[in-house]
Amino acid sequence: FQQREEKQLEASVESLISRVAHVKNALHSFIYKLENEYERLTWPSVLDNFALLSGQLNTINKLLRNEKTPSFRNQVIIPLLLSPDRDEDLAKLTEQRVPVFSHEIVPDYLRTKPDPEVEEQEKQLSTEALSCGLNQCCLRILFNPDVEQARQNKPFFNPTDTNALVAAVAFGKGLSKCRPPGPVAQGHPGQGQMMSGGPTLQQVTIGGGSGQQAGLGGPVAPQQQGQPGKMPSSIKTNIKSASGSMHPYNR
Amino acid sequence: MEAPPVTVMPVTGGTINMMEYLLQGSVLDQALDSLLHRLRGLCDSMEPETFTDHELVYLLKGQQGNPFILRARRSLSHPNTPWHLRYLGQPEVGDKSRHALVRNCVDVATSHSLPEFLNEMGFRMDHEFVATGHMFRKGAMKIVVSKLSRILVPGNTENTERLSLSYLVELSVLAPAGQDTVSEDMRSFAEQLKPLIHLEKIDPSKQRH
Repeated sequence: FQQREEKQLEASVESLISRVAHVKNALHSFIYKLENEYERLTWPSVLDNFALLSGQLNTINKLLRNEKTPSFRNQVIIPLLLSPDRDEDLAKLTEQRVPVFSHEIVPDYLRTKPDPEVEEQEKQLSTEALSCGLNQCCLRILFNPDVEQARQNKPFFNPTDTNALVAAVAFGKGLSKCRPPGPVAQGHPGQGQMMSGGPTLQQVTIGGGSGQQAGLGGPVAPQQQGQPGKMPSSIKTNIKSASGSMHPYNR
Repeated sequence: MEAPPVTVMPVTGGTINMMEYLLQGSVLDQALDSLLHRLRGLCDSMEPETFTDHELVYLLKGQQGNPFILRARRSLSHPNTPWHLRYLGQPEVGDKSRHALVRNCVDVATSHSLPEFLNEMGFRMDHEFVATGHMFRKGAMKIVVSKLSRILVPGNTENTERLSLSYLVELSVLAPAGQDTVSEDMRSFAEQLKPLIHLEKIDPSKQRH
Protein backbone atom coordinates (compact mmCIF):
# COMPACT_ATOMS: atom_id res chain seq x y z
CA PHE A 1 0.00 0.00 0.00
CA GLN A 2 2.73 2.40 0.97
CA GLN A 3 4.56 1.71 -2.27
CA ARG A 4 1.48 2.62 -4.29
CA GLU A 5 1.13 5.85 -2.36
CA GLU A 6 4.74 6.67 -2.94
CA LYS A 7 4.35 6.03 -6.64
CA GLN A 8 1.26 8.25 -6.76
CA LEU A 9 3.06 11.01 -4.93
CA GLU A 10 6.00 10.87 -7.28
CA ALA A 11 3.78 10.87 -10.35
CA SER A 12 1.66 13.82 -9.20
CA VAL A 13 4.71 15.84 -8.17
CA GLU A 14 6.21 15.18 -11.60
CA SER A 15 3.13 16.37 -13.44
CA LEU A 16 2.81 19.36 -11.12
CA ILE A 17 6.39 20.31 -11.89
CA SER A 18 5.77 20.09 -15.61
CA ARG A 19 2.56 22.17 -15.40
CA VAL A 20 4.28 24.82 -13.35
CA ALA A 21 7.08 24.84 -15.92
CA HIS A 22 4.47 25.58 -18.59
CA VAL A 23 3.17 28.55 -16.60
CA LYS A 24 6.68 29.76 -16.04
CA ASN A 25 7.45 29.62 -19.76
CA ALA A 26 4.25 31.39 -20.69
CA LEU A 27 4.96 34.15 -18.17
CA HIS A 28 8.51 34.41 -19.40
CA SER A 29 7.55 34.90 -23.03
CA PHE A 30 4.73 37.28 -22.10
CA ILE A 31 7.05 39.47 -20.02
CA TYR A 32 9.56 39.43 -22.84
CA LYS A 33 6.89 40.58 -25.28
CA LEU A 34 5.75 43.34 -22.96
CA GLU A 35 9.25 44.61 -22.40
CA ASN A 36 10.66 44.30 -25.89
CA GLU A 37 7.84 44.19 -28.41
CA TYR A 38 5.37 46.60 -26.84
CA GLU A 39 5.27 48.79 -29.94
CA ARG A 40 3.92 45.99 -32.07
CA LEU A 41 1.84 44.36 -29.39
CA THR A 42 -1.89 44.30 -30.06
CA TRP A 43 -4.69 44.03 -27.57
CA PRO A 44 -5.95 40.68 -28.91
CA SER A 45 -2.45 39.27 -28.44
CA VAL A 46 -2.37 40.45 -24.83
CA LEU A 47 -5.78 38.91 -24.25
CA ASP A 48 -4.52 35.64 -25.73
CA ASN A 49 -1.61 35.60 -23.33
CA PHE A 50 -3.85 36.13 -20.35
CA ALA A 51 -6.19 33.45 -21.60
CA LEU A 52 -3.28 31.05 -21.88
CA LEU A 53 -2.13 31.72 -18.32
CA SER A 54 -5.68 31.38 -17.08
CA GLY A 55 -6.04 28.02 -18.81
CA GLN A 56 -2.78 26.76 -17.39
CA LEU A 57 -3.69 27.79 -13.85
CA ASN A 58 -7.00 26.03 -14.31
CA THR A 59 -5.20 22.85 -15.32
CA ILE A 60 -3.05 23.02 -12.22
CA ASN A 61 -6.12 23.47 -10.06
CA LYS A 62 -7.74 20.45 -11.67
CA LEU A 63 -4.62 18.42 -11.09
CA LEU A 64 -4.54 19.31 -7.42
CA ARG A 65 -8.20 18.47 -7.03
CA ASN A 66 -7.84 15.15 -8.79
CA GLU A 67 -8.63 12.22 -6.52
CA LYS A 68 -5.53 10.40 -7.68
CA THR A 69 -3.44 13.21 -6.23
CA PRO A 70 -2.40 12.48 -2.66
CA SER A 71 -2.83 15.22 -0.14
CA PHE A 72 0.34 17.28 -0.18
CA ARG A 73 -0.49 18.65 3.25
CA ASN A 74 0.56 15.34 4.76
CA GLN A 75 4.05 15.66 3.37
CA VAL A 76 6.73 17.50 5.32
CA ILE A 77 9.89 18.97 3.87
CA ILE A 78 12.76 19.38 6.29
CA PRO A 79 15.94 21.06 5.19
CA LEU A 80 18.86 18.85 6.12
CA LEU A 81 21.69 21.21 5.42
CA LEU A 82 21.74 24.98 5.19
CA SER A 83 24.82 26.74 3.99
CA PRO A 84 25.67 30.30 3.01
CA ASP A 85 27.91 28.99 0.26
CA ARG A 86 26.92 28.92 -3.34
CA ASP A 87 25.65 25.58 -4.55
CA GLU A 88 26.36 25.12 -8.26
CA ASP A 89 24.00 22.21 -8.76
CA LEU A 90 21.13 24.07 -7.17
CA ALA A 91 21.95 27.15 -9.21
CA LYS A 92 21.87 25.17 -12.43
CA LEU A 93 18.65 23.39 -11.46
CA THR A 94 16.88 26.67 -10.77
CA GLU A 95 18.34 28.55 -13.76
CA GLN A 96 20.37 30.83 -11.48
CA ARG A 97 17.33 31.93 -9.51
CA VAL A 98 18.35 30.16 -6.29
CA PRO A 99 22.14 30.04 -6.08
CA VAL A 100 22.36 29.53 -2.31
CA PHE A 101 20.36 27.29 0.00
CA SER A 102 20.65 29.43 3.12
CA HIS A 103 18.70 30.62 6.18
CA GLU A 104 17.37 33.58 4.18
CA ILE A 105 15.59 31.68 1.47
CA VAL A 106 14.18 28.83 3.55
CA PRO A 107 11.28 30.77 5.16
CA ASP A 108 9.99 31.72 1.71
CA TYR A 109 10.62 28.61 -0.35
CA LEU A 110 9.63 26.04 2.25
CA ARG A 111 6.67 28.02 3.59
CA THR A 112 3.56 25.99 4.37
CA LYS A 113 1.45 28.57 6.13
CA PRO A 114 0.58 32.14 5.11
CA ASP A 115 2.13 35.18 6.84
CA PRO A 116 0.79 35.74 10.37
CA GLU A 117 -0.97 38.96 9.30
CA VAL A 118 -2.52 37.24 6.32
CA GLU A 119 -3.58 34.35 8.50
CA GLU A 120 -5.25 36.78 10.92
CA GLN A 121 -7.12 38.48 8.10
CA GLU A 122 -8.27 35.18 6.68
CA LYS A 123 -9.51 34.02 10.09
CA GLN A 124 -11.43 37.26 10.49
CA LEU A 125 -13.05 36.93 7.09
CA SER A 126 -14.05 33.30 7.73
CA THR A 127 -15.72 34.11 11.04
CA GLU A 128 -17.49 37.07 9.44
CA ALA A 129 -18.67 34.90 6.60
CA LEU A 130 -20.01 32.24 8.91
CA SER A 131 -21.72 34.66 11.25
CA CYS A 132 -24.03 36.48 8.85
CA GLY A 133 -26.89 34.98 6.91
CA LEU A 134 -27.34 34.98 3.12
CA ASN A 135 -28.92 38.44 2.99
CA GLN A 136 -26.17 40.00 5.03
CA CYS A 137 -23.55 38.33 2.90
CA CYS A 138 -24.99 39.72 -0.30
CA LEU A 139 -25.19 43.22 1.14
CA ARG A 140 -21.62 43.01 2.28
CA ILE A 141 -20.42 41.87 -1.12
CA LEU A 142 -22.26 44.65 -2.89
CA PHE A 143 -21.18 47.45 -0.61
CA ASN A 144 -17.69 46.36 0.29
CA PRO A 145 -15.40 49.41 0.18
CA ASP A 146 -12.44 47.21 -0.78
CA VAL A 147 -14.02 46.00 -3.95
CA GLU A 148 -13.01 48.09 -6.95
CA GLN A 149 -15.48 50.88 -7.64
CA ALA A 150 -15.28 50.35 -11.35
CA ARG A 151 -16.60 46.85 -11.19
CA GLN A 152 -19.53 47.74 -8.98
CA ASN A 153 -21.50 50.72 -10.02
CA LYS A 154 -20.01 51.96 -13.24
CA PRO A 155 -22.00 50.57 -16.11
CA PHE A 156 -20.49 51.15 -19.52
CA PHE A 157 -23.61 51.57 -21.55
CA ASN A 158 -27.31 52.18 -21.17
CA PRO A 159 -29.63 50.19 -23.45
CA THR A 160 -32.32 52.87 -23.23
CA ASP A 161 -29.84 55.38 -24.56
CA THR A 162 -28.92 53.01 -27.37
CA ASN A 163 -32.54 52.74 -28.44
CA ALA A 164 -33.05 56.49 -28.22
CA LEU A 165 -29.98 57.20 -30.34
CA VAL A 166 -30.89 54.57 -32.93
CA ALA A 167 -34.40 56.02 -33.17
CA ALA A 168 -32.98 59.53 -33.59
CA VAL A 169 -30.71 58.51 -36.44
CA ALA A 170 -33.22 56.22 -38.12
CA PHE A 171 -36.23 58.53 -38.23
CA GLY A 172 -35.52 61.66 -36.24
CA LYS A 173 -37.22 60.72 -33.01
CA GLY A 174 -36.49 63.47 -30.51
CA LEU A 175 -35.34 65.91 -33.18
CA SER A 176 -37.21 69.00 -34.33
CA LYS A 177 -39.51 68.15 -37.16
CA CYS A 178 -40.26 70.59 -39.95
CA ARG A 179 -43.72 69.99 -41.41
CA PRO A 180 -44.98 70.94 -44.89
CA PRO A 181 -47.65 73.64 -45.69
CA GLY A 182 -50.20 74.74 -43.14
CA PRO A 183 -51.05 77.91 -41.22
CA VAL A 184 -48.08 79.88 -40.02
CA ALA A 185 -47.47 79.71 -36.29
CA GLN A 186 -44.64 81.19 -34.36
CA GLY A 187 -43.81 81.90 -30.78
CA HIS A 188 -40.92 83.87 -29.45
CA PRO A 189 -39.66 85.22 -26.18
CA GLY A 190 -38.82 88.92 -25.89
CA GLN A 191 -35.81 89.04 -28.11
CA GLY A 192 -37.17 87.28 -31.17
CA GLN A 193 -36.57 89.03 -34.47
CA MET A 194 -38.31 88.47 -37.71
CA MET A 195 -37.37 89.19 -41.26
CA SER A 196 -39.74 88.92 -44.17
CA GLY A 197 -37.93 88.76 -47.45
CA GLY A 198 -40.85 88.39 -49.79
CA PRO A 199 -43.42 85.64 -50.10
CA THR A 200 -40.95 82.83 -50.47
CA LEU A 201 -38.49 83.42 -47.73
CA GLN A 202 -39.09 83.71 -44.03
CA GLN A 203 -36.70 83.34 -41.26
CA VAL A 204 -37.21 83.63 -37.55
CA THR A 205 -34.46 83.71 -35.01
CA ILE A 206 -35.02 83.13 -31.37
CA GLY A 207 -32.93 84.95 -28.75
CA GLY A 208 -30.01 83.40 -26.99
CA GLY A 209 -29.78 81.80 -23.62
CA SER A 210 -31.14 78.60 -25.03
CA GLY A 211 -28.20 76.57 -23.88
CA GLN A 212 -29.48 76.02 -20.38
CA GLN A 213 -33.14 75.41 -20.86
CA ALA A 214 -34.06 72.14 -22.34
CA GLY A 215 -37.49 73.47 -23.15
CA LEU A 216 -36.48 76.38 -25.29
CA GLY A 217 -36.99 76.07 -28.96
CA GLY A 218 -40.29 77.06 -30.27
CA PRO A 219 -41.55 76.64 -33.78
CA VAL A 220 -39.43 78.14 -36.52
CA ALA A 221 -40.05 78.37 -40.23
CA PRO A 222 -37.46 76.75 -42.48
CA GLN A 223 -36.05 78.48 -45.53
CA GLN A 224 -37.81 77.64 -48.70
CA GLN A 225 -36.41 78.90 -51.91
CA GLY A 226 -37.80 78.62 -55.39
CA GLN A 227 -41.27 77.87 -54.14
CA PRO A 228 -43.42 80.84 -55.03
CA GLY A 229 -46.79 80.82 -53.43
CA LYS A 230 -45.95 78.27 -50.77
CA MET A 231 -45.61 79.81 -47.35
CA PRO A 232 -43.68 78.26 -44.55
CA SER A 233 -46.02 76.59 -42.19
CA SER A 234 -46.64 75.53 -38.65
CA ILE A 235 -43.92 73.32 -37.42
CA LYS A 236 -44.55 70.81 -34.73
CA THR A 237 -41.66 70.39 -32.37
CA ASN A 238 -41.17 68.27 -29.31
CA ILE A 239 -39.78 71.27 -27.51
CA LYS A 240 -42.08 73.73 -25.79
CA SER A 241 -41.60 77.44 -26.23
CA ALA A 242 -40.04 79.01 -23.17
CA SER A 243 -42.38 81.99 -23.02
CA GLY A 244 -45.46 79.83 -22.94
CA SER A 245 -47.40 82.29 -25.08
CA MET A 246 -47.81 81.55 -28.75
CA HIS A 247 -48.72 84.16 -31.30
CA PRO A 248 -50.63 82.43 -34.08
CA TYR A 249 -49.71 84.92 -36.77
CA ASN A 250 -46.54 86.82 -37.21
CA ARG A 251 -48.01 89.98 -38.64
CA MET B 1 -36.24 38.63 -90.79
CA GLU B 2 -35.59 38.02 -87.14
CA ALA B 3 -36.43 40.64 -84.58
CA PRO B 4 -33.38 42.09 -82.92
CA PRO B 5 -32.77 40.81 -79.42
CA VAL B 6 -34.49 42.85 -76.77
CA THR B 7 -32.98 43.39 -73.39
CA VAL B 8 -35.37 42.04 -70.85
CA MET B 9 -33.79 43.63 -67.80
CA PRO B 10 -33.69 47.43 -67.55
CA VAL B 11 -30.23 48.80 -67.99
CA THR B 12 -28.83 49.84 -64.67
CA GLY B 13 -26.15 52.43 -64.16
CA GLY B 14 -23.49 49.77 -64.15
CA THR B 15 -22.93 49.94 -60.40
CA ILE B 16 -23.01 46.90 -58.19
CA ASN B 17 -25.86 46.76 -55.73
CA MET B 18 -24.15 47.63 -52.47
CA MET B 19 -25.49 46.65 -49.10
CA GLU B 20 -24.73 48.15 -45.75
CA TYR B 21 -24.22 45.68 -42.92
CA LEU B 22 -24.81 47.36 -39.59
CA LEU B 23 -24.47 46.72 -35.86
CA GLN B 24 -25.24 49.41 -33.33
CA GLY B 25 -24.71 50.09 -29.65
CA SER B 26 -23.92 52.96 -27.35
CA VAL B 27 -21.44 53.94 -24.69
CA LEU B 28 -21.91 56.27 -21.72
CA ASP B 29 -19.75 59.38 -21.55
CA GLN B 30 -17.77 58.11 -18.57
CA ALA B 31 -16.75 54.97 -20.44
CA LEU B 32 -15.91 56.70 -23.72
CA ASP B 33 -12.17 56.85 -23.07
CA SER B 34 -11.96 53.14 -22.31
CA LEU B 35 -13.79 52.38 -25.53
CA LEU B 36 -11.58 54.67 -27.62
CA HIS B 37 -8.51 53.11 -26.04
CA ARG B 38 -9.66 49.63 -26.88
CA LEU B 39 -10.62 50.59 -30.42
CA ARG B 40 -7.23 52.16 -30.93
CA GLY B 41 -5.69 48.85 -29.95
CA LEU B 42 -7.94 46.75 -32.15
CA CYS B 43 -8.16 48.87 -35.29
CA ASP B 44 -5.86 49.90 -38.11
CA SER B 45 -3.93 53.14 -38.15
CA MET B 46 -2.38 54.99 -35.28
CA GLU B 47 -4.34 58.19 -35.65
CA PRO B 48 -8.10 57.83 -35.39
CA GLU B 49 -10.08 60.38 -37.33
CA THR B 50 -12.36 62.89 -35.68
CA PHE B 51 -15.27 64.43 -37.49
CA THR B 52 -18.07 66.93 -37.08
CA ASP B 53 -20.90 66.44 -39.55
CA HIS B 54 -24.27 68.00 -40.18
CA GLU B 55 -26.87 65.60 -41.50
CA LEU B 56 -30.18 66.66 -43.03
CA VAL B 57 -32.86 64.12 -43.73
CA TYR B 58 -35.19 64.83 -46.66
CA LEU B 59 -38.55 63.25 -47.41
CA LEU B 60 -40.43 63.02 -50.66
CA LYS B 61 -44.07 62.28 -49.97
CA GLY B 62 -45.81 60.44 -52.72
CA GLN B 63 -49.52 59.82 -53.21
CA GLN B 64 -49.52 56.76 -51.07
CA GLY B 65 -47.08 54.56 -49.28
CA ASN B 66 -44.02 55.44 -47.31
CA PRO B 67 -42.17 58.62 -48.12
CA PHE B 68 -38.87 58.32 -49.95
CA ILE B 69 -35.98 59.27 -47.69
CA LEU B 70 -32.65 60.73 -48.67
CA ARG B 71 -29.89 61.77 -46.30
CA ALA B 72 -27.62 64.71 -47.03
CA ARG B 73 -24.47 65.06 -45.00
CA ARG B 74 -21.73 67.64 -44.93
CA SER B 75 -18.62 68.12 -42.86
CA LEU B 76 -18.57 71.09 -40.51
CA SER B 77 -14.90 70.58 -39.73
CA HIS B 78 -13.91 70.49 -43.42
CA PRO B 79 -16.39 72.85 -45.05
CA ASN B 80 -14.90 72.64 -48.52
CA THR B 81 -15.27 68.92 -48.99
CA PRO B 82 -18.20 67.70 -51.08
CA TRP B 83 -21.56 66.91 -49.58
CA HIS B 84 -22.67 63.29 -49.39
CA LEU B 85 -26.03 61.99 -50.44
CA ARG B 86 -27.10 58.63 -49.16
CA TYR B 87 -30.04 56.36 -49.75
CA LEU B 88 -30.73 53.55 -47.29
CA GLY B 89 -33.28 50.89 -48.14
CA GLN B 90 -35.50 48.96 -45.82
CA PRO B 91 -33.67 46.37 -43.73
CA GLU B 92 -33.71 42.98 -45.38
CA VAL B 93 -35.88 40.54 -43.56
CA GLY B 94 -35.54 36.84 -43.82
CA ASP B 95 -32.52 35.22 -42.37
CA LYS B 96 -33.01 35.77 -38.64
CA SER B 97 -29.76 34.06 -37.88
CA ARG B 98 -27.83 36.69 -39.79
CA HIS B 99 -25.97 38.74 -37.25
CA ALA B 100 -26.13 42.18 -38.75
CA LEU B 101 -28.81 44.48 -40.12
CA VAL B 102 -28.56 44.46 -43.92
CA ARG B 103 -29.97 47.15 -46.16
CA ASN B 104 -29.44 48.51 -49.62
CA CYS B 105 -27.14 51.52 -49.66
CA VAL B 106 -26.33 54.05 -52.35
CA ASP B 107 -23.77 56.71 -51.55
CA VAL B 108 -22.69 59.59 -53.78
CA ALA B 109 -20.71 62.77 -53.37
CA THR B 110 -22.39 65.95 -54.50
CA SER B 111 -21.75 69.66 -54.83
CA HIS B 112 -22.74 72.21 -52.23
CA SER B 113 -25.99 73.02 -53.96
CA LEU B 114 -27.51 69.77 -52.73
CA PRO B 115 -30.13 71.22 -50.32
CA GLU B 116 -31.46 73.60 -52.99
CA PHE B 117 -31.51 70.82 -55.54
CA LEU B 118 -33.46 68.53 -53.25
CA ASN B 119 -35.96 71.29 -52.53
CA GLU B 120 -36.41 71.87 -56.26
CA MET B 121 -37.04 68.18 -56.74
CA GLY B 122 -39.84 68.38 -54.20
CA PHE B 123 -38.10 66.96 -51.14
CA ARG B 124 -38.71 68.59 -47.80
CA MET B 125 -36.32 68.51 -44.91
CA ASP B 126 -37.80 66.43 -42.14
CA HIS B 127 -35.15 66.73 -39.47
CA GLU B 128 -31.48 67.45 -39.05
CA PHE B 129 -28.80 66.86 -36.47
CA VAL B 130 -25.13 67.35 -35.80
CA ALA B 131 -22.91 64.34 -35.24
CA THR B 132 -19.40 64.66 -33.91
CA GLY B 133 -16.97 62.00 -32.85
CA HIS B 134 -14.35 59.48 -33.90
CA MET B 135 -14.01 57.07 -36.76
CA PHE B 136 -11.91 53.92 -36.89
CA ARG B 137 -11.29 51.36 -39.59
CA LYS B 138 -10.38 47.72 -39.50
CA GLY B 139 -10.09 46.24 -42.94
CA ALA B 140 -13.46 46.72 -44.57
CA MET B 141 -15.13 47.52 -41.25
CA LYS B 142 -15.85 51.05 -40.19
CA ILE B 143 -16.48 51.93 -36.56
CA VAL B 144 -18.02 55.31 -35.80
CA VAL B 145 -18.47 56.68 -32.29
CA SER B 146 -20.69 59.74 -32.43
CA LYS B 147 -22.22 62.28 -30.13
CA LEU B 148 -25.57 63.40 -31.53
CA SER B 149 -27.01 66.85 -30.97
CA ARG B 150 -30.28 68.38 -32.01
CA ILE B 151 -30.26 71.70 -33.82
CA LEU B 152 -32.35 74.23 -31.94
CA VAL B 153 -32.68 76.75 -34.74
CA PRO B 154 -32.79 75.30 -38.26
CA GLY B 155 -29.67 76.11 -40.20
CA ASN B 156 -27.77 77.16 -37.07
CA THR B 157 -25.27 74.45 -36.37
CA GLU B 158 -23.55 76.40 -33.61
CA ASN B 159 -26.56 76.28 -31.33
CA THR B 160 -27.06 72.63 -30.50
CA GLU B 161 -28.15 70.52 -27.60
CA ARG B 162 -27.04 66.98 -26.90
CA LEU B 163 -29.59 64.26 -27.36
CA SER B 164 -28.30 61.91 -24.73
CA LEU B 165 -25.54 61.24 -22.24
CA SER B 166 -24.28 58.44 -24.44
CA TYR B 167 -22.39 58.17 -27.69
CA LEU B 168 -23.80 56.11 -30.53
CA VAL B 169 -21.45 53.37 -31.73
CA GLU B 170 -21.92 51.92 -35.19
CA LEU B 171 -20.02 49.11 -36.85
CA SER B 172 -20.67 48.94 -40.57
CA VAL B 173 -19.42 47.34 -43.75
CA LEU B 174 -20.31 48.26 -47.31
CA ALA B 175 -20.24 45.16 -49.45
CA PRO B 176 -21.99 43.70 -52.49
CA ALA B 177 -25.11 41.72 -51.78
CA GLY B 178 -24.81 38.09 -50.82
CA GLN B 179 -21.59 38.14 -48.83
CA ASP B 180 -22.56 36.45 -45.64
CA THR B 181 -19.07 36.09 -44.20
CA VAL B 182 -19.21 39.83 -43.59
CA SER B 183 -21.66 39.51 -40.73
CA GLU B 184 -19.59 36.73 -39.17
CA ASP B 185 -16.51 38.94 -39.16
CA MET B 186 -18.51 41.78 -37.68
CA ARG B 187 -19.83 39.55 -34.95
CA SER B 188 -16.38 38.36 -33.88
CA PHE B 189 -15.15 41.96 -33.81
CA ALA B 190 -18.16 42.94 -31.71
CA GLU B 191 -17.25 40.14 -29.26
CA GLN B 192 -13.93 41.83 -28.61
CA LEU B 193 -15.69 44.98 -27.48
CA LYS B 194 -17.74 43.20 -24.81
CA PRO B 195 -18.48 43.83 -21.99
CA LEU B 196 -17.67 47.46 -22.64
CA ILE B 197 -20.41 47.80 -25.23
CA HIS B 198 -22.88 45.46 -26.84
CA LEU B 199 -23.16 45.89 -30.57
CA GLU B 200 -26.41 44.43 -31.80
CA LYS B 201 -28.69 44.23 -34.75
CA ILE B 202 -31.37 46.78 -33.86
CA ASP B 203 -34.50 46.96 -35.97
CA PRO B 204 -35.28 50.68 -36.20
CA SER B 205 -38.98 50.13 -36.80
CA LYS B 206 -39.24 48.57 -33.34
CA GLN B 207 -38.07 51.84 -31.80
CA ARG B 208 -41.03 53.83 -33.05
CA HIS B 209 -43.33 54.54 -30.14
